[in-house]
Amino acid sequence: MMKNKKLFWSFLIILFWQVISMSGTFSSLILPSPYMVIKAFLESIMRGELLNETMYSLIIILEGLFIGTFFAFLLALASIRYKIMEDFVETLIAIAHPLPGIALLPLIILWFGTGRTSVVFVIIHSALWPILLNTTTGFRTIPRIFTDVGHNLGVRGIHLISTIYIPASMPFIISGLRIGWARAWRALISAEMIFGAVGGKGGLGWYIFKQRVFMDTAGMFAALIIIVIIGMLVEDLLFERLEANTIEKWGMTVK
Amino acid sequence: MNDFLKAVSISKTYLNENKKLKVLEDISFSIGKGEILCILGASGCGKSTLLRVIGGFERIDKGEILICGNKVLKPSADMVMIFQDYNQLFPWMTVLENVLFPLKVNKIGASAMQRIEISIEYLKLVGLEDFKNYYPHQLSGGMKQRAAIARGLALKPSVLLMDEPFGSLDAITRSNLQNELLDIWRKTEVTIVFVTHDINEALALGDNIIVMDKTPGRIKERIKNFQERPRNRRSDEFLDLYEKIYSMLDVQI
Repeated sequence: MMKNKKLFWSFLIILFWQVISMSGTFSSLILPSPYMVIKAFLESIMRGELLNETMYSLIIILEGLFIGTFFAFLLALASIRYKIMEDFVETLIAIAHPLPGIALLPLIILWFGTGRTSVVFVIIHSALWPILLNTTTGFRTIPRIFTDVGHNLGVRGIHLISTIYIPASMPFIISGLRIGWARAWRALISAEMIFGAVGGKGGLGWYIFKQRVFMDTAGMFAALIIIVIIGMLVEDLLFERLEANTIEKWGMTVK
Repeated sequence: MNDFLKAVSISKTYLNENKKLKVLEDISFSIGKGEILCILGASGCGKSTLLRVIGGFERIDKGEILICGNKVLKPSADMVMIFQDYNQLFPWMTVLENVLFPLKVNKIGASAMQRIEISIEYLKLVGLEDFKNYYPHQLSGGMKQRAAIARGLALKPSVLLMDEPFGSLDAITRSNLQNELLDIWRKTEVTIVFVTHDINEALALGDNIIVMDKTPGRIKERIKNFQERPRNRRSDEFLDLYEKIYSMLDVQI
């Protein structure tokens, strides 16, 4: 039902866009018609260029998200295990969480140059803090009854974490991953674009930047379409599936 | 044999904003194996705290809890607590998985197959075998409590601690569950400590009833309940005892 409504409105928007561009109010260099965009999109995919850049961006974001999630969990575990780490992690989050990754970029370029490492660093920074913040909040707000029951039934140590703390915090963990992904995805595109400006190469952001240099407006739109599609796929397929198979199935959502 | 579970002058004080609040004062009792002890009192009399102390969930200032002569220091699978809260089942596990989980943790049963058999046996005992693949949120309150009882009993604990487990159920479901619990008790011969604020419930279940006083929580009266089982809740003996306890509870009219 929801999907159909989205499809319906997308169709109307594209139709409106086509009408505007056919009216000739704007030059096609400013606003290419949907037809031109789709043509550029297909051509670019046929050339393999757009797909290559998409893969480049996806691999780099997966790498960054993987490392970021790993450290987020490590710090979250340390903070529930040791009181001193809890204070430390809390301070760390307070300092780092409000800092947009892009604001750090000049420093990062100074430290690591404009290569791949810098982009991965920006992604880790964008994803780590929201995931850590949500996970520690989840751990801290576990209903006491679950840990009481766990202790009573003889669950101890690392088992308590894997069998009780993590599933009980799942609503928080998933929302942390969602925010982490969204921030990392935006930071990635922006970082690639800025690196494009200083001579670096690779990725969707860089591709958009490059098409601007060639005045290939339709090509820029084509890359934007890819970004929208990936965002929708991750949101609607990945996260909604993940929720359906966990917290919704378990009746842990507030709906 | 009468010293199976023993409390020796238990006292506990809460520290609240630098003010000391005495919740339990000099509480002693002892019960035999396979008996049902009911702890009866008004809200805030410390009866739930006492139960948590017996289970090893709370530290105490003075006294000790002994089971078969061994001191209880922390919660263990030998004394399983059934809480009032329906949400004591893990929502991320099915009913069967909830019962299976502590068996796995405590390495009870020789194989995975055998553990499943044990779990199903106990789900049958509480009449939930048809709901084994349901998630807790798909069950009614009474069913959740029955599943929690099955999960506890599957561990073959020596004591079942019950903290007003039927307190938030409707009267009909509550009476049914009391009778079911007695049935299960007869079959398993488990010792039960049952906290309640319901005089009827205490009279229907308990061999011994401890009536608690408020602030600080003290034992006001111990009552031996000699009624034959099954108990008739309309018999003169039952109603006399009811009157006797009712008059103890300082009900203001």
